[in-house]
Amino acid sequence: MAENFEPKIVAFLCKWCSSAGSDLAGVSRLQYPANVVPITVMCSGSVSPLYIFSAFRKGADGVLVSGCHPGDCHYIKGNYYARRRISLVKELLEFSGLEPERFQMSWVSAAEGKKYTEVISDFVDALKPLGPQQMLRREA
Amino acid sequence: MSQAEEIRKEARRLLEEGEVKYVVGYRRGPDGLTAAPFFAATPEDAESLIWDPTCVHNLVRFVRDEKRRKGRAKDPDHRPVAIVVKGCDSRAVNVLLQEKFIERDEVYLIGVSCEDSGVADSKKLAHRFKGRKVDGIERDGEDAFSVASEGKKITVPAAELLADRCLECQASYPVVSDFLTGAKAERKPEKPYGSVEKMEEMPSAERRAFWEEQIGRCIRCYACRSVCPMCFCDECVVDTINFAVNPGTSAEEKADRIKWIERGSDSSENFGYHFVRAIHLAGRCIDCGECQRVCPLDIPVRFLNKKLEKAAKELFDYDAGFDAEGDSLVASFRDDDPGEFIR
Repeated sequence: MAENFEPKIVAFLCKWCSSAGSDLAGVSRLQYPANVVPITVMCSGSVSPLYIFSAFRKGADGVLVSGCHPGDCHYIKGNYYARRRISLVKELLEFSGLEPERFQMSWVSAAEGKKYTEVISDFVDALKPLGPQQMLRREA
Repeated sequence: MSQAEEIRKEARRLLEEGEVKYVVGYRRGPDGLTAAPFFAATPEDAESLIWDPTCVHNLVRFVRDEKRRKGRAKDPDHRPVAIVVKGCDSRAVNVLLQEKFIERDEVYLIGVSCEDSGVADSKKLAHRFKGRKVDGIERDGEDAFSVASEGKKITVPAAELLADRCLECQASYPVVSDFLTGAKAERKPEKPYGSVEKMEEMPSAERRAFWEEQIGRCIRCYACRSVCPMCFCDECVVDTINFAVNPGTSAEEKADRIKWIERGSDSSENFGYHFVRAIHLAGRCIDCGECQRVCPLDIPVRFLNKKLEKAAKELFDYDAGFDAEGDSLVASFRDDDPGEFIR
């Protein structure tokens, strides 16, 4: 079962860096797993914890929040707020017993198409042995 | 003069001089043992006020109601409202001041220090006395309570009866007040986050099973939200029935409201609700423990808040409710906030 399991990842990518980074991976024809549902947001700081809980509840096996490197935020400090808030979300999810691998955050700049593919491949590899996420999933 | 007498005297003075609209305090509840919140509006009412280890309630919650009432009144009375506050309650006032929900002159704080003690958990009391009738409880020195039951006075070590939060309380005196009774005793609990640490030591899967069982039982009565002094939004994101509507709200508008969390009480919806509640209280919860006390199913909701309190302290060195001037936890950042978990 574990080998055939294809995890579904919801990725919140900031418009200015990570989303452009994923675009670069695409136009550079870099290969990476097709398990990601990318959602472009204006800033990683605009990702409400509700989006993350909602993604898990609607069946995501993993959630990724990705933004600009510290200091590079288009809005100057959005990613600093995100870092603080997301680390609290991470603490909460882990405390309630969700596997820590299921929720990740990364800084991917518009020039880091390569890094984006690595983040996704490693994420998929980490999720495969865990199997589907059942804890927060809505009963259909 | 006992602390209760001092509270009564101050309340009587305030009401006689008309300095405040009313005094929110405690009086003896209908069962003759536990305290109940009480609104004293006349100097005579002030004589009913009490202070003892059963005064568990966080009365700051009534500030929210007062604010709403004032907003609706045609000709509002702008005098402040006096509230009896313990250490934890006073920190709740500080958070509301920090968030500019209230102004300092809207409340008159009658601070009462728990000194070296705290309040007694009624469930622990019932458990300790195995259903026998308890007629009264009072503090007996630093580390004990004297409990009157069936004509006898029994001395019980404080640790057996103190509410969980009091065992982990780090400031048992009011940090903000206009009038203070009792000494500013500094309390240093050995393990301020002991209960959370015990849970963190559990393996992840065991913790998941624990929370799945606990949260799965929730019936979504929202008692924890109603009693919380920090939950003051008119519209709550987790609850679609209190969205503000007026005669002009079209059906389309109503339908377009995002339902982040449905009303059903299955495990997934419950997790959504409790997670949102915990996150919304991060850096705001002052651990008054009311949410857990009022839970009809005894779900240990306080742990989720306590966990984030611990995270805020360890990661960002942030204590909620001690400083009414500084920025709140999630509205501020430092360049060197930990980010090792980020790739």
